[in-house]
Amino acid sequence: MKTENKIKKSGLGARASRRISNTIIYIVLIAITLTWLFPFFGILMESFKVNEKGMDGELFPEVWGFDNYIRLFKETDFLKWFINTALMGIATAVFQTFFVLSMSYTLSRLRFKARKPLMNLMLILGMFPGFLTMILIYKVFSEAGLTMEMAPVGLVIVYCASSGMGYYISKGFFDTIPKTLDEAARVDGATRMQVFYKVIMPLSGSIVIYTILMGFMAPWGDFMLASYIIHENSAGMSVAVGMFEWLSKTMLNTNYTMFCAAGVIVAIPVTAVFLALQKYYVEGVTGGAVKG
Amino acid sequence: MKKIIALLLVLVLALSVVACAPATNTPAETQGSTTGTGSDLTGTYDITMWVSEKEGVADQFKTQIAAFMEANPGIVINAQIEGVTEADAGSKVVADVASAPDIYCFAQDQLARLVQAAALAKPGTKAAETITAANDATSVAAASVAGTIYAYPMTSDNGYFMYYDKSIITDEDAESMEKIIAACEANNVKFRFALENAWYTASFFFATGCKSNWSMNEKGEFTSVDDDFNSVAGLAAMKGMQKLAQSTCYDSNADIFTDAGVVITGIWNADAAAAHFGDNMGATDLPSFEVDGKSYHLGGYTGNKLMGVKPQTDAKKGAVLSLLAQYLTNEECQTQRYTEFQWGPSNLKAQASEAVQSNVSLAAFNKQAAYGVPQGQIHGSWWDIAKVLGADAKAAADDAALQTALDNYTAAINGLFSMTEEQKNAWGVIGNICNTNWDTDFAMTDNGDGTYTSEVLELKAGEEFKFRQGASWDVNFGVEFNGANIVVEADGKYQVKLTWDGEQTGTVELIPAE
Amino acid sequence: MKKLTDLEYLKLNKFQVLLYNLKRFFCAIPGWFVNMILAIGRFFARCGIAIKDEFVDIGTTFIKGNWAVKTSFFIFGFGNLFYGQIARGLLFLLFEIVFIGYMLVPSGGIYWLSKGNWFQNGATVGTVQGGFTYDPIFDTDVWVPGDDSVKVMLYGLLTIIFIFAFIYTWRLQVKQCRICMDITAQGKKIKSSKDDLKSLVDDQFHKTLLALPVIGILLFTVLPIIYMILVAFTSYDAAHDGYSNLFSWVGLDNFNDLLDFGNGGLGLAFGEILSWTLMWAFFATFTNYFLGMFVAMMINKKGIKLKKFWRTALVMTIAIPQFVSLLYVSKLFDSSGIIGELLGKIPAIKNYLNTNHYFSLWDSPAVARALVIIINIWVGIPYVMLQATGILMNIPADLYESSRVDGASPFQQYVKITLPYMLFVTGPSLLTSFVSNLNNFNVIYLLSGGNPINTQIGSAGGVSVGHTDLLITWLYKMALGSAESKYYTASVIGILIFVVCAVLSLIIYNVIPSTKNEEDFQ
Repeated sequence: MKTENKIKKSGLGARASRRISNTIIYIVLIAITLTWLFPFFGILMESFKVNEKGMDGELFPEVWGFDNYIRLFKETDFLKWFINTALMGIATAVFQTFFVLSMSYTLSRLRFKARKPLMNLMLILGMFPGFLTMILIYKVFSEAGLTMEMAPVGLVIVYCASSGMGYYISKGFFDTIPKTLDEAARVDGATRMQVFYKVIMPLSGSIVIYTILMGFMAPWGDFMLASYIIHENSAGMSVAVGMFEWLSKTMLNTNYTMFCAAGVIVAIPVTAVFLALQKYYVEGVTGGAVKG
Repeated sequence: MKKIIALLLVLVLALSVVACAPATNTPAETQGSTTGTGSDLTGTYDITMWVSEKEGVADQFKTQIAAFMEANPGIVINAQIEGVTEADAGSKVVADVASAPDIYCFAQDQLARLVQAAALAKPGTKAAETITAANDATSVAAASVAGTIYAYPMTSDNGYFMYYDKSIITDEDAESMEKIIAACEANNVKFRFALENAWYTASFFFATGCKSNWSMNEKGEFTSVDDDFNSVAGLAAMKGMQKLAQSTCYDSNADIFTDAGVVITGIWNADAAAAHFGDNMGATDLPSFEVDGKSYHLGGYTGNKLMGVKPQTDAKKGAVLSLLAQYLTNEECQTQRYTEFQWGPSNLKAQASEAVQSNVSLAAFNKQAAYGVPQGQIHGSWWDIAKVLGADAKAAADDAALQTALDNYTAAINGLFSMTEEQKNAWGVIGNICNTNWDTDFAMTDNGDGTYTSEVLELKAGEEFKFRQGASWDVNFGVEFNGANIVVEADGKYQVKLTWDGEQTGTVELIPAE
Repeated sequence: MKKLTDLEYLKLNKFQVLLYNLKRFFCAIPGWFVNMILAIGRFFARCGIAIKDEFVDIGTTFIKGNWAVKTSFFIFGFGNLFYGQIARGLLFLLFEIVFIGYMLVPSGGIYWLSKGNWFQNGATVGTVQGGFTYDPIFDTDVWVPGDDSVKVMLYGLLTIIFIFAFIYTWRLQVKQCRICMDITAQGKKIKSSKDDLKSLVDDQFHKTLLALPVIGILLFTVLPIIYMILVAFTSYDAAHDGYSNLFSWVGLDNFNDLLDFGNGGLGLAFGEILSWTLMWAFFATFTNYFLGMFVAMMINKKGIKLKKFWRTALVMTIAIPQFVSLLYVSKLFDSSGIIGELLGKIPAIKNYLNTNHYFSLWDSPAVARALVIIINIWVGIPYVMLQATGILMNIPADLYESSRVDGASPFQQYVKITLPYMLFVTGPSLLTSFVSNLNNFNVIYLLSGGNPINTQIGSAGGVSVGHTDLLITWLYKMALGSAESKYYTASVIGILIFVVCAVLSLIIYNVIPSTKNEEDFQ
């Protein structure tokens, strides 16, 4: 009788304390969400400002309007840059996925003499700052005509060529697929290639989509390497490089709000794709993280 | 089996090597083949150009090029024009001279580096004469290295002056920095002055009479600097800067006008200034500041924007580009640029026009120009070294800190000249000769027998010069060791010869050439 | 140091345990060095033996081989052709022809190698300096190109690599030839080209898959890195860009400069920047790690609704390019930005800024450093949160159940179960994120640009040094951000960044248990 009471009490107490702690958590989560989304809201507001004063330190526009967006498409090459970047994103997604998956699958499932040395080599290479490679790559590309107007092609090559080095997350994913599956298929007489595309690939939808997503997003955010390779040619620019030009001293005042408007437009497709595929992204990251 | 893969890999590498290997660059064969055609320039030319990224500039250039083609029948130019800010164009050209644009516009401070990197084709003799005659003297000097013109002056308006709010600051107050600061603090508005940018930092030092003059040789390499920022006058400048920098109204961002009462900036912000201040906009020269009872009028650089032509391997194309650059910087084009973008012309006739004379901003620029120092050739690293002084003045707690800042500055500047033994021992001729002004060392050949001879120099009567070793004044010769300047007596082409015993005695000869 | 027995170890209290482990860690350091040196020694010894074996093998192959084998010493693939492996043999032969052709043609391998003046101190890379000649007819200067040092060095390097490949291939085909001979002698059948192709999708499938990615890495990462290491020994900068002015070999001068702590040297700046870089990487990594985990735990807690919504809100930040969002955030904290203005009104902060003559939060070294770390939390938490979510869900629920029965508080559960599990699983990724934070260019460049300027140092080597500059932003300023484009200094900094990363990784690798046994986990 006594014990029953006690259990009942503690149960009640636990529920109450859980409610309190949950309330606190909700408050914290709401605060966090607001903090995280605030800059985006700010950028959105900035893009609706109709004045040419540059940064005026106000959150909301004095005068609302779509002037920045209209200017963007009427007076600048933004559309051209946008198309460039989208094409680059698609091309990078395709090739990078092929490179990354080949590398990570091989390192995860196949055993061969050079495997460990190769992994060590890539680990070591990853410790050199990437900037340094830019200087030579630029020179070679400039010689081969892959800069300026042709820069998008050159950039896709750069984004993809060494992408095998980023095999960690997808290797982690492949590691989690039981090896017994392969063995069963091998016993049935499948070649290793058949195992790859008939057994493993159908199970790897989320990691494939994750890799595609990462590849697609790469050109949108990169501006350092891209501006170096593009070398001031507006026909070959990506949005990041083109927009960055607007922030130069002489143009900052007139173009800051337009920069924000462009930022909003860039964010829309990327965010849309991202949200649609978020499930796979989460699966990719969490699955892969298990063995980073 | 792995062998095959290895083999393929190696093959790919091999093929890529072969594919990348360019046609041989055998220097002797490809040079200027000017066989037969004379100086006929007709033909079609694909060229690339970098001009200001400002809206509409590229379009105007297109129109002007069309006009050029009309004026020169037979020459067809397909120009691809990119917008690149003039402040960076130079460094971007230097980063890859081989694929630089054929014609580009840049701010004059980059000239030395461009010459050194062989990124500028100098205008021919005739072109140089035209340029000298048509443009104001400072802009011609700004386009020259060691007396030779390397670029085509495009504007004479690159300098800063003061935009201010007339409703807060009276015309009388606008002459004193202290009064302006007080007015800004009282009205809670900003005094915007980019003191953490060496171009502006120098303003205070020029006010107190300091100088930073850089010398270089004909190759465009800097050999020495005559700099007295670290002096009593320099300390006064630092104190003046501290006064402003430590005021609550100071803001180092002068590219925006938010909350601004005063903005020290240039003509490129004329539109933004008009938008911000409206009817209350005033524009005038910089104010004076007071330190230890003395008053100093703030100085500043005056500079130019220049147009450069990339060296060509084909003489004919080079000639066409030179012609085009001359056209694009002539009176007509400069006037058009003024009308559309308010760029102050360097062309004398364009400057004289009524419209230019009545421009408020240009008037302020010209007023300030009286206190300006024409921006000569300055070592590229100086900008980074000197801008620290602005930050120092702001952070300094006492005068000792200001002095330390100046000491650091001197150390950093001296660190730029780590010379080889050979360079330290080399003699040079320096003076106001060959269109230079004591800022260029003309190299001398060591004959190995205690005599040193210069190249043939064209000297004019009345010009003065001296000899110095290692581009420093520690060991120098005039009429005697460490003596007075040598004065040229008659015009002519001379080879200058110095005989030196390695100590303090020597003789100087002027050997007429030919 | 005495190693404790298990019994003694268990008797220690918490603090003593920590102390003991730390001590053990540092006492082990000399041991590692000894081991490392031994390992390097062993490596060279093994190499030596391997090389000796190779030569012996080559010798015996030549002596014992039949005439076909002997011929293949000079004509590539002859043996393969002789034994019927036509495809292989032809490929080998083609390779030899290409190689010899490439070396001998004008402006081929020998031409490039001879131009390099390799590693001769003071000598230029390339021999012919470009220059101007005057063309009187057109009254204009004409550029007569000379050598381009950049190309001379690149093609020279490629030629050297090509030569190594040639030697390797030569050895390969001789060996194959001998194997063919032995197999034939035993009366067995030799693999046909068809077999070769078949094995490419089966036993040798890894070669098919890896061919392109590995070639990509070789050409776009390995080659440029070797090249930039070479640049560290030259005077390659804007004034000596190779095309207009040849650059030269300078030996170790650049390294000496960077480690020179005197006037004009870069040592002081390097030390200052390195210490902040390490500090930054430490804080950036661990603040993100723990706060991210914390957020994940909150979202994952039983009874919290809208899990997906919370996650989505955070993950949005990943989708928007950093150069837009970070630039905006940086402006927010400026003196006229919304947050900066608000904070500036708080008396304590206002007072602090005024007494030090700072006008925005970014002017104060300490505040600027704190700000970049705080804003980096904003950037980094979503990634960690996602990772942690997956792992938290993998922790067996019965662990928590049983601990609750034992009366453990939530905090105890966290310390005893969650944290160890997380650390075990994410150890390696913690290492990678530490290394990537060392090189976190974007956050610093976009937020503070390395400012405020460090007035103690001012500028070193003509480039101003800021309080929030990382090695990587310093490298950027040196190579691309300054007028002088000192590629050589940048290369030296790059090499030192590598050294720092490598040393740190070695240490961390040795401390975290989970990095070691890769196969255990599968």
